[in-house]
Amino acid sequence: MAQKKLYFGQTEIGFLYGRGADQWDGNHERRIDISFMTFNGAHITKNQVVGFSLGLDQYDEISIIPIALGWRGFLGKEGKPKIFGGLDLGGGSAILEKKVSNEWSKSWYEGELMFSPSVGFSFPAREGKTALSLSFAYKRQQFSQFYGVLSRSGSQPIATDLLPPGYNSLTENNYLFRSFVFRAGLIF
Amino acid sequence: MKPLYSASSLLFLLSVLVFSSCVDEVNSSYTYHTMMPIYLEMSDVRARIITTEPAQPLDNPGKIYIYEDYLFINEPTKGIHILNNENPAKPINLSFIPIAGNVDMAVNGRILYADNYVDLLAFDLSNINDIKLVKRVEDVFTHMYTHATGEIITFRDTVITTENPTWGFEDGGGWLMNSSMSFSSNYSAAAQSYGTGGSMARFTLANLHLYAVDESTMRIFDVENPSDPTFLKPIDLGWGIETIFPFEDKLFIGSNVGMHIYDASTPSSPTRMAVYEHVQACDPVVVNSDYAFVTLRNGTSCWNGANQLQVIDIKDLYQPKLKKSYPMLNPHGLGLAGDFLYITEGNHGLKSFNVSDVMNIDQNQLEFLTSEKSVDLIPGPKSLIVIGPDGVCQFDYSNPAKLKKLSCIQVKNPVKFY
Repeated sequence: MAQKKLYFGQTEIGFLYGRGADQWDGNHERRIDISFMTFNGAHITKNQVVGFSLGLDQYDEISIIPIALGWRGFLGKEGKPKIFGGLDLGGGSAILEKKVSNEWSKSWYEGELMFSPSVGFSFPAREGKTALSLSFAYKRQQFSQFYGVLSRSGSQPIATDLLPPGYNSLTENNYLFRSFVFRAGLIF
Repeated sequence: MKPLYSASSLLFLLSVLVFSSCVDEVNSSYTYHTMMPIYLEMSDVRARIITTEPAQPLDNPGKIYIYEDYLFINEPTKGIHILNNENPAKPINLSFIPIAGNVDMAVNGRILYADNYVDLLAFDLSNINDIKLVKRVEDVFTHMYTHATGEIITFRDTVITTENPTWGFEDGGGWLMNSSMSFSSNYSAAAQSYGTGGSMARFTLANLHLYAVDESTMRIFDVENPSDPTFLKPIDLGWGIETIFPFEDKLFIGSNVGMHIYDASTPSSPTRMAVYEHVQACDPVVVNSDYAFVTLRNGTSCWNGANQLQVIDIKDLYQPKLKKSYPMLNPHGLGLAGDFLYITEGNHGLKSFNVSDVMNIDQNQLEFLTSEKSVDLIPGPKSLIVIGPDGVCQFDYSNPAKLKKLSCIQVKNPVKFY
């Protein structure tokens, strides 16, 4: 059977739900953040697509642009609603975060690994090639926040792997955000 | 039905992930440079035998002292390198004396004085290849003692990572602190200032007495018999003492808050004549009979905004007066040889001036070597010794308007500007 077309696109917008890190009393604050995702790929078989995804996750603390390689697999008959599964693996970029730097200190963010499996349903339009899509996903995003105090000029440098050169101290906060994601959008 | 099976297993996996672990994690670590306290028993320190060792490569040079044809270069807290400088164009690294805790030295006749934590040591230099310890004056630099006698506290540069940044007092018995905030950084700065014989000296010899200044105290030793130094007494100077410069029977002591002038005509008991309080600075001082030359710079540990050379009229020692000040770029150390004043301008280079007319020093700049980054200098009998990031360099300064580079001794961790 001939494939209909090679290109596959999916654009969705939705929410990230999660629970914040342990607070002093052991409780967690709920967080709801906005997530946008677009996936561009090519069919490798009739029901499977590989490609890459690009998005924007607006957490309270940080804006992250996730960039990942992805896979989508579909189950169902042509022209009928389908179930699909997906997997995205890549990293998050913290490029939108401003680096703050002055005479005494520097602070910045670094995006790290992102992993997101998903399942969803697609409802094809009556006419044309587009379909409505609903996705439920899990998203694991790591990133780090750094705050470094610079050495006073003239203080004796010390050979160490622990501190980057020129720093007197460095505070590193490693974040791991685990979110449940609900998104809706279009497949085209 | 195989595909459906795999889809439901995926769903199952997903729901496990979602409902079991949608909680964020935050891990913090705090890595910082600090002065780590080290406790030492003086009895252990004293038990170590100090003998002349083979030459070692120069690392992190501290004070430099000229003795006859030799250069003594201190490596703070490690010991003293001895170099043969008969030919300043080709100094030869001879040997090393390991003295723990050593930061300063002075030579009197054929006797070398060096501090060894709380003790003062005297070495016989008669045979430079076999330097012998002849006397140990115990328990004189007592500021290093902790409350328990016999145990001293010293600090080592360390980098520490902790998962628990709130508690700075983890395993150091309360001494762990960020070095930029702790007083001990002052200690380390002191341990790493440069050039005895230069303007940043802390040991000095005058009128058969050895004067040793630390942050707040001057200690006086009678060295009339060089091989038998005797501790006389401490004199409280106030806080923030940086340098000491003897001239005739006066002592000029540079501190954070100004310049103290002491009358040492009774060498065993100097008395304060005046305190010249200029802006806060860690200021090297050199003196001739009429004027004191002080450089101020806006270094980091001394918070003043000025980069200046100040000329202070000291004809009346009880009332020193500012004669004139000249703007400078970033003056670190200075040295006076006759009418010629040499100033190290840090990153900016090395300057020489004729200062016979103190009102017009700026118009009598003889040379400005912008490529010679420099921190401190010593006008020696054979050469002008300049300490900077290139190591320890020597210049022929027979013509102050045309300094000629003779040699540079490479060092592993050259001095940095501060």
